[in-house]
Amino acid sequence: MSEEMDSMLDMYLYENGQLLEQLELTTLQKKDEDSFDEADINEFFRVMHTIKGSSGIMMFDDIMKLAHKLEDVFFYIRESKPDNVPHLELVDKIFAVSDFFREEFDNIKEGGEPTMDSSDLIKDIDKFLSKIKKEIVSEDKELPEQEEEEAPTQFYIGAVGGETAKYYYVECYYRNDTEMVNIHAYALVNSLKEKVDEMYYTPEDIITNEETADVILDQGFRILIKAHISLDELNILLGGFDVESTNASECSKEEFEAGFDVPAPIVGSDTIDLGDLGGEDTEEAEQKEEEKKDDITPGDYVIKSKSAGKKATLAKSKKSKAPATSFISVNVNKIDQLMDLIGEIVIAESVVLQNPDLNIEGLDLTNFHKSAAQLTKFTSEMQDVIMSMRMMPLTNTFQKMNRIVFDTSRKLGKNIELKMIGETTEVDKNIIEHISDPLMHMIRNSIDHGIEEKEEREAAGKNPKGLITLEAKNEAGKVIISVSDDGGGMNPEKLFAKAKKNGIVPREKSIHDYTNKEIYQFITAPGFSTNEQVTELSGRGVGMDVVMKNLQAIGGILEIDSEYGKGSSMTLKIPLTLAIISGILLEVGNQRFVIETNSVKEFINVRQSNVVKEPDGGEYLNVRGQHYMVVRLSEKYHIDSSVESIDEGIMILTEYEERRICIFVDKLLGGQEIVVKPIPDYIKKVSGLSGCTQLGDGSIALILDIATIAG
Amino acid sequence: MAEEKDVVIAADDIELEGSAIEDAKQYMTFKSGSEYYGIELKYVNEIMGIQPITAIPEVEDYIRGLINLRGKIVPVIDVRIRFKQEPFEYNDRTCIIIVNVKNTVIGLIVETIDDVVTIKDKDIETPPSLTTTKAKDKYVYGFGKVGDEVKLLLNPEKLIRDEDMSAIDAAYEDL
Repeated sequence: MSEEMDSMLDMYLYENGQLLEQLELTTLQKKDEDSFDEADINEFFRVMHTIKGSSGIMMFDDIMKLAHKLEDVFFYIRESKPDNVPHLELVDKIFAVSDFFREEFDNIKEGGEPTMDSSDLIKDIDKFLSKIKKEIVSEDKELPEQEEEEAPTQFYIGAVGGETAKYYYVECYYRNDTEMVNIHAYALVNSLKEKVDEMYYTPEDIITNEETADVILDQGFRILIKAHISLDELNILLGGFDVESTNASECSKEEFEAGFDVPAPIVGSDTIDLGDLGGEDTEEAEQKEEEKKDDITPGDYVIKSKSAGKKATLAKSKKSKAPATSFISVNVNKIDQLMDLIGEIVIAESVVLQNPDLNIEGLDLTNFHKSAAQLTKFTSEMQDVIMSMRMMPLTNTFQKMNRIVFDTSRKLGKNIELKMIGETTEVDKNIIEHISDPLMHMIRNSIDHGIEEKEEREAAGKNPKGLITLEAKNEAGKVIISVSDDGGGMNPEKLFAKAKKNGIVPREKSIHDYTNKEIYQFITAPGFSTNEQVTELSGRGVGMDVVMKNLQAIGGILEIDSEYGKGSSMTLKIPLTLAIISGILLEVGNQRFVIETNSVKEFINVRQSNVVKEPDGGEYLNVRGQHYMVVRLSEKYHIDSSVESIDEGIMILTEYEERRICIFVDKLLGGQEIVVKPIPDYIKKVSGLSGCTQLGDGSIALILDIATIAG
Repeated sequence: MAEEKDVVIAADDIELEGSAIEDAKQYMTFKSGSEYYGIELKYVNEIMGIQPITAIPEVEDYIRGLINLRGKIVPVIDVRIRFKQEPFEYNDRTCIIIVNVKNTVIGLIVETIDDVVTIKDKDIETPPSLTTTKAKDKYVYGFGKVGDEVKLLLNPEKLIRDEDMSAIDAAYEDL
């Protein structure tokens, strides 16, 4: 496949993927209400229309047909505004279709061809469509009849251009969801220009004034034309510019010259419906036939769709949409590259600024230093921006969970509400990729095992509707994500018995050897499942195992807490970012190290008298009555250090998971944001080191790992 | 990277020995101790002057540490120490040859770069000592004759791996 084709495919997948996401999001937001509002339906229609169009171009027939079918449904709903569309059924259909698309997109992404057959789904939707249509009929509502003879399917080109110029008055109406209608109008004018002798149109400033779009939508786009063409020819010219309908009529020379101040003649007008020209489906045409039968006046269409009564049923709750931020998608590799590049720039900068050539006696460098300071400021700002580019809000991940709750709870027949808190919390992109699966498992677990059946809940005096809370927050350089439910909670005794049966705990241990929290942790062991029956969703004992694996990959931990009868909560604690940490730079001998700021409790200047030394060399520091183990970096790593006496250096009191140790170093150099890089695989793992980083001057510092340093 | 390599190739004496296309390879030669060594050119990414090196504690003595290669962290090993020879002082003539062996990028610290030469396969002699267990010989797979001189041809894979591999394997067994 050519490169061009590849990039087209990428674009196709990306754009339609986004559309699907948007579609699902809107659907999920409205799933609990009893109808979609007009804006939603319009949005759905647009989404399906776009997918249909682009799939057609890519020749993915099944996708195109399916999109077309669903588009029909939305078109029908939008135009006929049936009162009793079974809302949940419609939601189901939307999901079924979007799932189909997603699966196909995945197929395509993996280099395959879309092979799935959409005909069953199409039939299904057909049934649904005729169902909602029938319901209307049964309620004596007028179902638009197909009127073949009126549908203009052919145009005859009239006698070749009359000798005398003719004058025409044209009104064009656009669908009221057309975007940038002024541009459409301009395109129309542009193409007419070549064929006509003289032309005037209103509104006039269509290309410069965007507000004219509203005017055109509201009142139509009006053109006065003097040309040597017949009415039929004109009508053909007018077609194909996404015009909903045009209204062209011959007028007199006087009327032409009078311009737009005089009301245009409507009587005897020859109305042409352009719906069929644009390849729209038959329902659409029918719909327009209907409209035409009414007394057509300019703007009728718009007014009709906004008629008060209809609005009341469809536009029930017009919630304010979240303010749209504009985004572009960039390949992560490019961002990584950018990050490497900025690192190089910083190095190059220091090479220039500290160039030995500048060390000439008596050289006046005042201006040089001024400009240098400026440059330094910009590069460091740039560094900050590039680093922040990797941060993304959790919003999308959380939204996906909404879908999981919807699907799972319906499958299990449980009524469950998902509450989301703090979904805008930002974390590094890599982390987002790793937590989606764990979260999904945790939520499924909560629904399946946590939330009880309705009867049970009622008996326990709880709200029959279960509640799952998904919460994210930042705390001390970690992102904390918790999934909690108000379900039955876990029974430690039962868990313990099960763990023993499955051989997770040694036989000789009794339940009293473990705290409740330790017992809850058993559920993360591979092969542990407390559910008596293996359900479709969970119970195989693999879920929590996956959660742990994914978590460990990003250095996170899982905490489980539960109260029997009241519910459980699982909390993920993950480092905020894998790439950037705030660190404290320190020096031992001529070697520099970085310690993560968050693990530092305090810096202490100590005197020899505060240190206790064991005969075997172990040292302990007394800090306000507490003794902490001391690790001297120079001794641990055999670095020649000029600092021997304990009062010349500085102690860093660190804490990792409630374990505190003191690290003794020569001196502190300051705090800074650092980019974490792994130590190359070639070098075997060294205890107490978790990575390395490049400093501003291009040198490399090693990052201390508090968790293993005492080992 | 590629550019520097190109320069090196352009400067060598392909033209002079151009007739000997059959079964000949190009080697980058360098001096370490009193001997000249050769490493096949296809492994060489680039050559750079000595850089500030960040030492890593608790690793083999010949791994001198890490250097910053335009934002990439690259480990460097001292070839002389690797050959169990006396360490030497780094100076302006000291070079780092950046090699890429099966996607592992590593810097080799050598005393001086010598030349790029073309050695015909038939001019390579298998060292008689290959069967003995003398440590330094195992990285050398052949003696390449260039005129009167003899270059010890190195197997870069063994140079950077070998012992390390066994260390890694041992580490896995512990797990």
